[in-house]
Amino acid sequence: MSTTRTITFTLNGKKRDFQIAPGELLVKLLRRSGLTGTKEGCDEGTCGACTVNVDGRAVLSCIMPAFLAHGRNVVTIEGVGDFDRVHPIQQALVDAGAVQCGYCTPGLVMSAKAMFEENPAASDEDIRVHTDGNLCRCTGYEKIWTALRNVRDANKPAQA
Amino acid sequence: MKITDFKIPTRLDEALAALRDLGPAALPVAGATSLVFIPEDQPMTAVDLNRLGLDGIRRDGDAFRIGAATRVAALQKRHEPGWVLDRVALTLSSQQIRNESTLGGNICRVFPWSDFPAALLALGAGLVIRGAQEKEMTADEFFSSQPARLFRGGDLLTHIRVPAVGAGAGFGYKKVRQTATGFSLATAAACLQLDGGGIRSARAALSAAVPFPARCAAVEAALAGKKASEGLLREAALNGLSGLKFKEAEGMSAEYIGRLAAVTLGDALVEAWAQAKEQAS
Ligand SMILES: Cc1cc2nc3c(=O)[nH]c(=O)nc-3n(C[C@H](O)[C@H](O)[C@H](O)COP(=O)(O)OP(=O)(O)OC[C@H]3O[C@@H](n4cnc5c(N)ncnc54)[C@H](O)[C@@H]3O)c2cc1C
Ligand code: FES
Ligand code: FES
Repeated sequence: MSTTRTITFTLNGKKRDFQIAPGELLVKLLRRSGLTGTKEGCDEGTCGACTVNVDGRAVLSCIMPAFLAHGRNVVTIEGVGDFDRVHPIQQALVDAGAVQCGYCTPGLVMSAKAMFEENPAASDEDIRVHTDGNLCRCTGYEKIWTALRNVRDANKPAQA
Repeated sequence: MKITDFKIPTRLDEALAALRDLGPAALPVAGATSLVFIPEDQPMTAVDLNRLGLDGIRRDGDAFRIGAATRVAALQKRHEPGWVLDRVALTLSSQQIRNESTLGGNICRVFPWSDFPAALLALGAGLVIRGAQEKEMTADEFFSSQPARLFRGGDLLTHIRVPAVGAGAGFGYKKVRQTATGFSLATAAACLQLDGGGIRSARAALSAAVPFPARCAAVEAALAGKKASEGLLREAALNGLSGLKFKEAEGMSAEYIGRLAAVTLGDALVEAWAQAKEQAS
């Protein structure tokens, strides 16, 4: 019989306890905890809508059992920005016209955030590789890549 | 997979003891990305392998020693002379899957699309398993059938030894997909060791197109001792696979997949040859 278990992890900067069913998936835990910014698209690891960051890595919360997050640092789109505190990656996507229906956007932002934290100077090729798991039905990707190149260029130290 | 409980050990001996105690109800879990492919049936207790110090890559003489719980992304992002697994890692699914999937998880239970089995067969890797004792086996032994058979008693793969591709040697890896992150229709890996202009030894392996990852003995035999040329490599791939059984896939006949595999293996051999010439001693 499965019983409920308690796990602890840092969610968007706050350490919290969570009661979970042992096999519960991270996306279900996040969404039932009120964080519905993380989207469910395919639920089988192929679309990227559910991407969150765990210890700085972009991972798919729809296939990740929640218990693997125990003791880790989890960041979701709610921990990145909001309408009144827009993150530079979000602003760049808006400015480039890279948001249409917006369903892919939270996952895409989490992939881009993990990439830029690891490498603020990501090359054009790095940008494509690190977004290869984020499907977008609307934009055709060019505007997304333009936006992320703009973030990268703004990261560069100002020339003297 | 129905996970009804979990354990989060922090030492290898603790994990091995938990696996032994649980017996057939134990499920070692590294990246956990395979669970979506395994139908829910038996209740299982997951044993987390991520906190046992089984991750990391280091150079160890003429080889690299890779912890079983090393993420595919770490293989992808390593670049140094002799290291070739970055080329394999980059082709594995999407960045999120590469970030989560481990090398051990990719090979301990082989799926038709698994990328590393063919690469490790071609490279002649060694696999180190820990139970009551430590034992090392060759990739040929490990992949002789589904490796999951080796872990039913509660043993774990702890690390993988991959020879560095050094002077006069080259590695090639190719796969054919319908979409950038899609499953492979044919996967081929090849290693060539040159001796001047001649081929001292060749190793070639296929997966996805065949029922299970396997070496291509007839291709290897047709190359050993010959003078290398692109024509020879492609011909060996085209002629050397006739004894193999190929799978049908997505509306494509087994005959077509066989042809695709031969062309893909030819490409992998040519890539290996190009690197071997570049690294000529
Ligand atoms: C949508 C999707 C697409 C994918 N596409 C590809 C692809 O194109 N190519 C590819 O190669 N892979 C692909 N993968 C990944 C592949 O299918 C496997 O899921 C993955 O490689 C398993 O690695 P893991 O670390 O997540 O292992 P887990 O899922 O944690 O474990 C896999 C198996 O190995 C066992 N195991 C794990 N580590 C050990 C160990 N150290 N000792 C003993 N047993 C162990 C587990 O018990 C389990 O049976 C894809 C995955 C998804 C979800
Ligand atoms: S919902 Fe997770 S990858 Fe699609
Ligand atoms: S904006 Fe609609 S899916 Fe990307």
